[in-house]
Amino acid sequence: MANLKEIKLQIASVKGTQKTTRAMKLVSQAKLKRAEELAKRSRVYAQKLDELVSEIAYEINQNKVGGSDSRLVQADLPVTTVDIICLTADKGLCGGFNVTTLKKTLELIREYKEKHIAVRLRVVGRKAIDYFRYNGQPMTDEVIGLSASPDYKQAAEFIRASLDDFNEEKTDRVVLVYNGFKNMLTQELRVQQLLPVDISTVEPRELKSTIEYEPEGHEELLNALLTKYVEYSMYYGLLDSLAAEHSARMQAMDNATNNASERVNELTVAYNKARQESITTELIEIISGMEALK
Amino acid sequence: MDTMKLEIVTPIGPIFSGEVKSATFPGAEGEFGVLPEHASLVSLLDAGVIEIEKADGTKESIVIDSGYVKVDEAKTLVVVEGAVPITGATESEIAKAISEAKELVKKSSNSDFAIASVEAKVEAAAKTRF
Repeated sequence: MANLKEIKLQIASVKGTQKTTRAMKLVSQAKLKRAEELAKRSRVYAQKLDELVSEIAYEINQNKVGGSDSRLVQADLPVTTVDIICLTADKGLCGGFNVTTLKKTLELIREYKEKHIAVRLRVVGRKAIDYFRYNGQPMTDEVIGLSASPDYKQAAEFIRASLDDFNEEKTDRVVLVYNGFKNMLTQELRVQQLLPVDISTVEPRELKSTIEYEPEGHEELLNALLTKYVEYSMYYGLLDSLAAEHSARMQAMDNATNNASERVNELTVAYNKARQESITTELIEIISGMEALK
Repeated sequence: MDTMKLEIVTPIGPIFSGEVKSATFPGAEGEFGVLPEHASLVSLLDAGVIEIEKADGTKESIVIDSGYVKVDEAKTLVVVEGAVPITGATESEIAKAISEAKELVKKSSNSDFAIASVEAKVEAAAKTRF
């Protein structure tokens, strides 16, 4: 009879878990909607910023044959030190979301090491920090809490440190690795070079009239603009990653809920079988006892 | 043409979009006003107040920390990092917006003069409404 009771307990426990996973799925669904909305709204800013950068890039290409002297746009710098910014979630229970980012980061580190390029690791998200600490990978910077609630000011501050080091020639390249949102069902691993900014890919736009610049000289404007551009890219990375995290968690929790249903079915069948068995044994016992008395 | 299109966007989303009669911006090299059909211009903006006169004659103030303005024939585009519009239906809402705006400017500017001038402007703008 103990068996019956055990199965009953197990069914109750799986049902409890299922309730939790279902709730988590709903929570992620709601949060995903909000994150998506946030990313969509902020994309307007990106478009306008792109517009400005492309116009100034066009001016520079027109007026200066050699392009800009700004270090931020030198695409052919000799690379000796790289800043890798690894962006993951603070929380788990979202399938392979964090692991794929971590794997890619390790792969990048290995690649750079083979080329004898020094790597500095700057990490956002508790999961990545725990992982790298466990593996004895030194980190230059660790931030917890930013990936769960992206904030422009904080993101800008974080990337400003990278930017300053880059300007002081301590690093020669800054790369951002994260898992981005593709659609409700898929996440896409993104490796984005933040610095130097490649303005050759920016589509130059023909202007109808000459533009006056304040302050004079494009360099100062361009530098300030590109700083904003990089800050924004970091912020957008955070938004994108957050949306992806919630979509990944939604899926993981959906799967978990389905698996729990399956498990409940299996256990119910087992329970019924065990019950039937115990009834049959009891009947046989009674009948054989009666037979023996005859 | 007596109005122009003005758009103000921040990383959090667009905060103003519409036809305006005139606008005043806190440029990095001094405050300047823009009227319809202004010559093309790109300027850095410092922390300060954007004052807008809308098509229906009402005025609006928006406090910003730093950013850019681009003026061309078609429209005036403002790209800023942080912005707080001084609007609200009640006095307490406006008071809240003003304190938020002061926070924003204090965080991004360390010039006492800039902070004081923003405060004065915002309070003056709020007074005209009540």
